[in-house]
Amino acid sequence: MPRWGMVIDVKRCIACWGCSIACKEEHFLPPNVFWNRVLIGERGKFPSSSKLILPILCNHCSDAACVEACPTGATYIREDGIVAVDDEKCVGCRACLVSCPYQQRTYYDNEVKDREYFPGQGKTELELIGEKLYPFKLGTVIKCNFCTERLEDGMKKGLEPGVDEDASPACVNICPVSARVFGDLDDPNSKINRLIMEHKGKQLRPEFGTEPAVYYID
Amino acid sequence: MSNDNHELIQTMFPPDGSGVKPYEWMINPTRQRQWIDKQGLFLWLAFFFSEIGAGLYFVSLFYEYKLGLVLGWLITLILGGLIHVAYLGNPFRAWRMIMKPNTSELSRGIWIIGIFAALGLLQMVTSGGFNMVFNVIMGILCLLIISHGFATMNVIRALPAWSSTMVLPFSIISGVWVGQQVLQFMLAVSGATALASGMEVWAEIFFFAYFLCLVLYVWGTWHANEIGQASIKMMVSEELKKITLIGVVGLAIVLPLILTLIMWGGDTNAFLIFLRLAAIFAGDLAVRYIIMKSAVYKPLLERN
Amino acid sequence: MTYKTDEIWEDKWVNTTCGVCYCGCAAKVRVVNGVPVKVEGITDSTMGGDGAGLCGKGTAGLMYYHDPSRIKKPMLRTNPEKGIGVDPKWKEIEWDEALDIISTKMKKIMDDDPNKILFTNQTMRASDGPHNHPYFYAQAFGVKNNGNFIIGGGSLHCGNACHMLGGLIHGAWSIAPDWRYTKYVLKWGSSKGTGSGHSAMTNARLRADAVRRGIKEIVFDPMGNFAGGKATEWVAILPGTDTAVGLAIANYICNIHGEMDILYLKAKTNFPYLIKDDGTYARNEETDNPLIFDSREGKIKDFDDKTLAWEDCALDGEYEYKGEKVRPCFVPFKEHLKQYTIEWASEISTVPVATILQVCKDWVDNAQIGATITLEGKTYPYRPVSSVTFRGSQGHSNGIHQVAAIDLMSQLVGAEDVPGGTLGWPAIRRAYPGGNYEQTCTAGKDGVIVPSVFYSHDPWPVHAPSLPATNMGCVDVWTHCTLSHIPYVDEMEYIHEKFGMKSKPEMIFGISANFIISNSDWDTAIKNFKDCFVVQNDLWINETDQAIGDLILPDVSYLEKDCWSSEIDAFFFSGSPSHEDWYVHMQQPVAKPVGESRFFMDVYIDVANRCGVLDKFNAKLNDYYGVEDPELQIKPGEVLTWKEIGERFLKWVYGNDIEKIKKQGYATWNKPIEDVYWRWDIDTRCPVYMEYLLHDRARMEEIFEETDFDVEGLGFDLDQYSPLPSWFWPESHKDLDSEFDLLAFSYRDILHTNNTTFQNPYIDEVSKMCPYTFTITLNKSMADERRLKDGDIIVIETKAGVTEKGIVKTMEAQSPKVIGIAGQGGLWADGRPIAKGKGANFCKLLPSKLKYFDPVAGNMETAVAVKIYKEE
Repeated sequence: MPRWGMVIDVKRCIACWGCSIACKEEHFLPPNVFWNRVLIGERGKFPSSSKLILPILCNHCSDAACVEACPTGATYIREDGIVAVDDEKCVGCRACLVSCPYQQRTYYDNEVKDREYFPGQGKTELELIGEKLYPFKLGTVIKCNFCTERLEDGMKKGLEPGVDEDASPACVNICPVSARVFGDLDDPNSKINRLIMEHKGKQLRPEFGTEPAVYYID
Repeated sequence: MSNDNHELIQTMFPPDGSGVKPYEWMINPTRQRQWIDKQGLFLWLAFFFSEIGAGLYFVSLFYEYKLGLVLGWLITLILGGLIHVAYLGNPFRAWRMIMKPNTSELSRGIWIIGIFAALGLLQMVTSGGFNMVFNVIMGILCLLIISHGFATMNVIRALPAWSSTMVLPFSIISGVWVGQQVLQFMLAVSGATALASGMEVWAEIFFFAYFLCLVLYVWGTWHANEIGQASIKMMVSEELKKITLIGVVGLAIVLPLILTLIMWGGDTNAFLIFLRLAAIFAGDLAVRYIIMKSAVYKPLLERN
Repeated sequence: MTYKTDEIWEDKWVNTTCGVCYCGCAAKVRVVNGVPVKVEGITDSTMGGDGAGLCGKGTAGLMYYHDPSRIKKPMLRTNPEKGIGVDPKWKEIEWDEALDIISTKMKKIMDDDPNKILFTNQTMRASDGPHNHPYFYAQAFGVKNNGNFIIGGGSLHCGNACHMLGGLIHGAWSIAPDWRYTKYVLKWGSSKGTGSGHSAMTNARLRADAVRRGIKEIVFDPMGNFAGGKATEWVAILPGTDTAVGLAIANYICNIHGEMDILYLKAKTNFPYLIKDDGTYARNEETDNPLIFDSREGKIKDFDDKTLAWEDCALDGEYEYKGEKVRPCFVPFKEHLKQYTIEWASEISTVPVATILQVCKDWVDNAQIGATITLEGKTYPYRPVSSVTFRGSQGHSNGIHQVAAIDLMSQLVGAEDVPGGTLGWPAIRRAYPGGNYEQTCTAGKDGVIVPSVFYSHDPWPVHAPSLPATNMGCVDVWTHCTLSHIPYVDEMEYIHEKFGMKSKPEMIFGISANFIISNSDWDTAIKNFKDCFVVQNDLWINETDQAIGDLILPDVSYLEKDCWSSEIDAFFFSGSPSHEDWYVHMQQPVAKPVGESRFFMDVYIDVANRCGVLDKFNAKLNDYYGVEDPELQIKPGEVLTWKEIGERFLKWVYGNDIEKIKKQGYATWNKPIEDVYWRWDIDTRCPVYMEYLLHDRARMEEIFEETDFDVEGLGFDLDQYSPLPSWFWPESHKDLDSEFDLLAFSYRDILHTNNTTFQNPYIDEVSKMCPYTFTITLNKSMADERRLKDGDIIVIETKAGVTEKGIVKTMEAQSPKVIGIAGQGGLWADGRPIAKGKGANFCKLLPSKLKYFDPVAGNMETAVAVKIYKEE
């Protein structure tokens, strides 16, 4: 069984937000819900200051704070390393949400559900079909799932995640500068492991001891 | 044509500083919102009630005061428990929360409350309820419930302000202190004035312990790390300043201190006890509110 | 969270072309149950290299289809009063009535003078339509040249000087570094590879590979954001002062360091051309050719004399030709550069001396003069240094000299269209195998390249300025303007009167342009255009429509468009500039048109038909695509839809592969390496010494004298008609004083295409997460000094008294003497509620006076002296 992970090459990233928006489309996310974001900041003082860009998503930690905090077992780590939420079991206590040092979870309630992309103009066909095709359960917590559906459907067709688009996460596919690489962390020869080795990949905020499956190279 | 930026300002630069500026989210220290804003207020109340209920139960054990037990038990379960459940997104699945006591503090809390409910009921209905073994077991359960809310917060590594070592002692003292005050008030109004007056020495001890714990919490959080400092700064920020001053300083500390000094040595009366109870009731709520509201996450951008 | 697949009865992907900016990237759209739900890149198209991507705004393009604010029927103004803040009192009408109104008006105007009809193009929305066609559509109506062609965004968003020199030097509209082989890139007010410019995502991909490879990228820019924020080194520079640094670098190479690519200068530039004392070429009277001194034979020869070897072209010395003293133009050129010292440049630009000196050294070190590289068995000079510019640095009243100076350093080391150097988009595109549409450049007069296709008019040969002016833009007089600025200047009427322009415009027929708010001073634009009957094809009622529009026709978005021609003719700026296969994507409809919207090309055809000029337009189309097969030509009397025309023309363009291409939605074919690195294969020379400007100047002087034109009063700087790239203060700097002490500038945000993207809710959401997109940026220390902080509302005021408000966001990475505003916010149209109230409008601050325009290329001065203060 593989353990899925991702490498984000910050050097390549130009902060175009393709990942964020493609993700929203892939999962029909309501307004102001993001499973992928880009943080933008600055370091240093003029004239030698530099711009900081950090694309973030769920780290699919192997020692996940959210899994630990979940009282029902709704949040769990799948065999392939993906941190998933079983919305049949989730009671909506948001312990996971509060516990995540990366703040990658969203509580889906009526307020979120009722948001419109064009406020006051009603829901569009896109929003309506999304609610039908990819429904979220009220009162549960939603999050990035590494596009589990894409991975599973793709693999059923014999495709390889990280290589074939139809078996890879949407944010990886959309990236115009190939800053995202997806693959198996357990396979020492996978492209992501080679990148992590070659460029000394770093996990985000390792001090929380969460063991993320997302690595950054610069 | 004038360019009306008003709406945009509201979104991007909330004038009262209350919202999180979307472009500073996890770039600057970012406030925890789930467990205090909007529906999160339920959790704040639920923690408070289950803890003072358990506090009352706990103190009543020493005085073998059954009415205190009943009231404490009811407050913990009905007020605390129901508000807890109301906070949940899917209240009808609440039973599922017993599933993960091995890792989840929340789950452990549910177990403890369950046991407390059952054993408490047993203690209340059995005639020899106040035997030593029962008292010790129930006392421990009460302390666990009192500390449950803050223990749940304490284990969250992502929020350093809550990980402070002073969180647990403070929460236990606060539960016992408020519980003790409820009992003292109950005794005072039920005519047991001597008993109430005798309790004043404990009130003095608990109040100063409470005050000390609070000071140590702030001191410890400030010195823990820069994120802790950000939390303390947030307590006195424009948005929280009022609550901190009036609620924490005024109601939780200064007013009870004055009343305690007035009643020093056991010179109690029901009205003053009531005043102090009301003050610490509101004050403790304010303290908890501030602690929950000012917890911030460590930014994800390495800006140094 | 799983897909409810049992709810799906249709699930398909349609390949098309992205239409959110002008780059035309490959896009495929997922349609579920008839609803477009997702946009992605196309894996198999060569556009994406090994991957397939799309930027955020392209991905967000989905919302164009879903936007409930789109107009669904033609809208007619019923309130005759026009202006900002006036309710147009729109009335929905039927298409037939709308087209009838248009054609009746047009016919009436045509009987009088067709030049009174203005046609506008659409960079304001996107290149989601045929690029060049509106130009010759106008001609079908009898409009002369392209001068009646106004473009939304005109000078501000188009690179007159870049296009002019791009054409003269590279035979291309645009330039890019050869990312594959370069080692050292200088970017001047350009975001090539970091989000904007032509083929933005192709360049971004190529750049990403290059930075991973370890190239150095130095960005000269007033702010360190999109380009500077990603650079190896960001260098803060004042807007409009790039020339100074460029000239200092050229002086260093030429006169201090002294090592140049001499063979390149002899063979590929006009530097050996002999000039007379007055600076003009000495010419062979018989052939009219410029002359070169053959140093081996000691003889003066025609520049194209077959017996003249490259290495024998003299770059120095003084000779006599027909009794007149002549010398290679390189001699005074070199001498001229000596005045531009690094210290001098530092003072003007605020770039530290040490930084300029380091760049000089790194530039010549990395240029590897003399090195060669063998690619695919062919050996080329290897010059891995590139210096590129775009809208930022060229958008100044000294724009032509900015671009010339930035190009000069590449010329001196021979880094033009060779591996590692600066590339134009290939000047040649071979036909698709088995197809017929081949575009090749030629060597024109004096050995200057003539592009196969160019927008508006060819950059070469230069047309002499002449009178009377026959169109609103007066391009008869300002011959180098790719897109004329005259329609926007305050003195328009005076200029028209002086130059005998009789065709006072009466009607505008345009495509989604928002030219009232996106050029310069709004009031002047309204004054100049409000008396016209304004017809626009548009998705929404935008600011221009609301202020002065008379009839707005609902257009389809790119997602509903059947446009075979989307990028087919635009090879000189779309596709990959690098040695990668050609790609051309078709625009295929993903969904049915929203409401009663119609593709503007079909509206064009309908209107042309009603006006009786369709045959003329069709003949121009046949000609433009060079369709020779009579079966495929459009015949007189035929009325075809744009799609039907495509059925025929694509057969001509792609031959028998047409079915396959239609099925996959794009064509890719081989681009030979010699078409990319063509510099030494095509016998042309770069007119680095801009001799033609001397003739233009003489003619302009005559015209001004003849018409008693108030040259001084209008501030027209004839001195810029100089063959030598020189320093001229940008007009904005001249306005600086102790009160108006800051320069406001604008830049392109990666999320926005002019102002249309402001109406996209996906983009709106993420824009709020960007600290700078919707705000006005100030250097942190400067803001502190002025007691301004994040979130303050400030007023920006110009000397002309124009004001704009905005929200302050401080940043470190910005020059302390400037304020920055992204894109084109400050919108107020009721028809675009998401866009309304977002950001600040920069354009309105720009004064619309003739003196604020580059007198040669027509760039608008896109910096402006301002003061700022906190709103009371």
